[in-house]
Amino acid sequence: MKDLACTSDSHVHEQSPSNQTSIAMMQEPQEMVEETVTVEEDPGTPTSHVSIVTSEDGTTRRTETKVTKMVKTVTTRTVRQVPLGPDGLPAMDGSSPMGSYTDSIDRRYLKNGERFITPQASSTLTRSYNSYNDSYPESHEGQYRPYIGHDGYGDLSDNYGSLSRGVNYRPRYAYVPGGTYRPDDGSFTLPSRRENYGPVAQPQVPVGSSVDLNRSQPERFQPEPYGLEDDNRSLGVDDEGYELDPDYSTVNRRTSAGVPERGRPHKGRGYDDPIETEMVEERIPYLHGGYAAPLAQPERGSMASIDRLGKRSPSIDSIRKDPRWRDPDLPEVIAMLSHPIDPVKSNAAAYLQHLCYENDKIKKDVRHLKGIPILVGLLDHPKPEVHRKACGALRNISYGKDNENKVAIKNCDGIPALIRLLRKTNDMEVRELITGTLWNLSSYEPLKMVIINHGLQTLTNEVIIPHSGWESEPNEDSKPRDAEWTTVFKNTSGCLRNVSSDGAEARRRLRECDGLVDALLHALQSAVGKKDTDNKSVENCVCIMRNLSYHVHKEVPGADKYQELDAGQTTGTGGSQKKKKDDAGCFGGKKAKGKKNGDLDRNFDTLDLPKRSEAAKGFELLYQPDVVRLYLSILTESQNFNTLEAAAGALQNLSAGNWMWSTYIRATVRKERGLPVLVELLQSDSDKVVRAVSIALRNLSMDRRNKDLIGSYAMGELVRNLPSRQQRSAKNLEEDTVVAVLNTIHEIITDSSENARSLIQTQGIQKLVAISKSSQSPRETKAASHILQMIWSYKELRNALQKDGWNKSHFQSVSAAPKGSKGTAGRSGYDDSTLPLVDKSQDNEKSGSRDMIPMDELGPDGYSTIDHRDKERKYKTSDNTGDASEKEPLKNDTNRKNINRSNRASVNLVDARDIKPQPVDSWV
Amino acid sequence: NAFEISSLITILSYLISFSFQQRIEIHKLRQGDNLILGFSIGGGIDQDPTQNPFSEDKTDKGIYVTRVTEGGPAEVAGLQIGDKIMQVNGWDMTMVTHDQARKRLTKRNEEVVRLLVTRQSLQKAVQQSMMS
Repeated sequence: MKDLACTSDSHVHEQSPSNQTSIAMMQEPQEMVEETVTVEEDPGTPTSHVSIVTSEDGTTRRTETKVTKMVKTVTTRTVRQVPLGPDGLPAMDGSSPMGSYTDSIDRRYLKNGERFITPQASSTLTRSYNSYNDSYPESHEGQYRPYIGHDGYGDLSDNYGSLSRGVNYRPRYAYVPGGTYRPDDGSFTLPSRRENYGPVAQPQVPVGSSVDLNRSQPERFQPEPYGLEDDNRSLGVDDEGYELDPDYSTVNRRTSAGVPERGRPHKGRGYDDPIETEMVEERIPYLHGGYAAPLAQPERGSMASIDRLGKRSPSIDSIRKDPRWRDPDLPEVIAMLSHPIDPVKSNAAAYLQHLCYENDKIKKDVRHLKGIPILVGLLDHPKPEVHRKACGALRNISYGKDNENKVAIKNCDGIPALIRLLRKTNDMEVRELITGTLWNLSSYEPLKMVIINHGLQTLTNEVIIPHSGWESEPNEDSKPRDAEWTTVFKNTSGCLRNVSSDGAEARRRLRECDGLVDALLHALQSAVGKKDTDNKSVENCVCIMRNLSYHVHKEVPGADKYQELDAGQTTGTGGSQKKKKDDAGCFGGKKAKGKKNGDLDRNFDTLDLPKRSEAAKGFELLYQPDVVRLYLSILTESQNFNTLEAAAGALQNLSAGNWMWSTYIRATVRKERGLPVLVELLQSDSDKVVRAVSIALRNLSMDRRNKDLIGSYAMGELVRNLPSRQQRSAKNLEEDTVVAVLNTIHEIITDSSENARSLIQTQGIQKLVAISKSSQSPRETKAASHILQMIWSYKELRNALQKDGWNKSHFQSVSAAPKGSKGTAGRSGYDDSTLPLVDKSQDNEKSGSRDMIPMDELGPDGYSTIDHRDKERKYKTSDNTGDASEKEPLKNDTNRKNINRSNRASVNLVDARDIKPQPVDSWV
Repeated sequence: NAFEISSLITILSYLISFSFQQRIEIHKLRQGDNLILGFSIGGGIDQDPTQNPFSEDKTDKGIYVTRVTEGGPAEVAGLQIGDKIMQVNGWDMTMVTHDQARKRLTKRNEEVVRLLVTRQSLQKAVQQSMMS
């Protein structure tokens, strides 16, 4: 068969715990979210790359990779600063080294008692604090509580201290500060802590950690989606396996450019504190203007950790800035993951997440320091705070081009652990993190099957089905639910989209996964119903459907029962022929297939679809003609190029099969008036859409009536997509696309001199000759030459051609001949390399598909047809002897032409015979 | 003098013939979940052109305005029953199916629709006035 494409997109997520970011988000959370959406879905911005890969079975497939970054900023900066003594070593006692800071801070505390907002403090911090308060109206209390009330803090520090003894710093500083942060909202009091650590509690420094902590609370995130951000930076360096779409990354980079993770914040909050200012200055490239948060040190730390200038180590940066403090180094942080005190664990994990954000080096280091198994172990931790933070860290670690990190997560059974946690938790944020991590992991080929093995049914049951709105046993009374396009659904569908491209076995597993196909279809129907077809989740669903439709005609159980009969018998392309076949018993005894939906049934009256006693379900839904309408609706409504491509690709896959369902699909596309929809999409600005549509048209034209219609009404658009002499083409299409268009033209004019005439009339010859003579691409040259030879073979057209000034030499291109015979390996020359994406997988299948192509059949009209064997011979011949012989079998053309003409009289792009009573007018 | 008059007529008829094709900009009205234009269309290459009461040429498969809602956005913008829609936001509407035309007009993301229409009545009126 031809052109079955498989798409897989890899979406990678990374979260960054950046204070800056979060603050920025607080400022205009909506906008950030908008931005993300725009970038991802802007149809004008191709977000994926398509590369052809050859799978194990030799099938060509396209792997599309999309790298999407959804970043949630959650920072828990726990162990940020360690005071250093005058000697440069970490101070054992926080108070003494603090010096002047101590004074000022003490003053604040003393004067204001519990309140952090002192006159001074106000003067310097008010602005930021205020906005902070605004954004986080009520949550502070709740957030901080745990810390506040934590009597163990004192002990904590001790324990902590022991942990960190090696480095001579006192853990409590790290934590303490966190507590102190509260003050900024003015309502928080941290009596004990403050007293103890007051000195340390410079608002900027220690505070930061607690702030971050608080931020990471899910409750906060919900109302204020400030956490979403593009991780622009890591985008740039992402997965090599998944080529980043240039545009996409550009866009992201652009948005982030001077504004690395923390960048967004510039909301122009000035930070007046001298110390902070100083730090800000150091970071100037990132933070000109407004410093968003009053969290000096923590911010700084994060800066440092991702600093592009190479100050990779968090500690260096902070030491430089303030010799009394230093960050814990990575081994220390990882050690803290195993600390007996839970908050230490969670803070360490959160800090790790932050450090890893967009920093491949740190991710690698974490791996080398054996941090990943520890994090995975924390996934099973009973405390939500701990497993949430661990999951956040894993999400960032799993993002990036370093697949070793992904493998490391898998090697310590991280995938089953994630799935376990997904089953266990109801916390939406955790679910987002889990599915985001899985999405990241799913972008690496070797992990796809692992995810399927451990998580497919869980992901389907826990996420896909509930969010799709599908109910296996719908309540009669309630109306069908709509899909919810949640982040969790988006992540999960992205993950499944990736794993669905992992070959036949993966497809089989997904098809047979209970409820998956049903739920995806329901979600898509809901999207169409609500005219909400542009979003990412829809894109993911369509891509999964497309992948699952790939080779469906040979991979689903019992597919062989539906195979078209031997060529001699299979004459039908239309309904009546089909019927004949049914009578022949090929179909009758099957498990009943019918339309579940009475209303759909009507449309297939003439198609004689077999009646079903029960509704189609599961994978059967993939190829029921009902789906045609769904895909066509998407093709009509969606503005998302990826979605358009995938929907066209699904039709392409479904119409390619050599079984009866493909025949139905081809006819249904026509009956549902799909041809005009597809032809219109040939005008698309998107290369890949044009390509997918073109290949779909080629497959559809195996149906004779489709071929006539496409020849009459699509030729102009097809030719328009070809490069002309002056320019590559108006759209500058890629070679693959040009070749696809050429092959479609070839298919359309094959056995149809009438269509060949259309080609001449649309001035196609000039372009074809130009391509065959001067294209830089051998594939284009060859494909164009094939067409020209075909045209010349129609003797009845030669007069017209010669009148236009063409002669034989234009049509007998040297370059065309020999390479074409590449196909000799296969059964027919048709499958040569000029025909892109041809399924070259299995010989037997190829012969099967060859047989099934009813190119010469005229269907219901009962005109004589050229036997398939002839066709076969034709191609074989051409293989052996070159182009000249290709004409041979076409001797009948005169005949055929007349036939076609007579057929064509009533033919319109929408076949008159298929027209249903149509509303004469419609309100708009 | 005669010369001036004839050239004036030339200019006038040029202008008028130009105005046979009229640009109409309709701002859609939100009605519930939908954005509506407030008119209905008939015709299309998949329709039987002989049934079109508005076309002169009964083989014309173009898209015609069949009804206009009183007070609706289309009426406000000056669209009239019988107008033939030539373009919608620059897209050709003379060789499209009925459904394609409908889709073009109802793109959800377009709040404003710019039509290029021709109006038989306008042509006739002009011709008649010039004859008399």
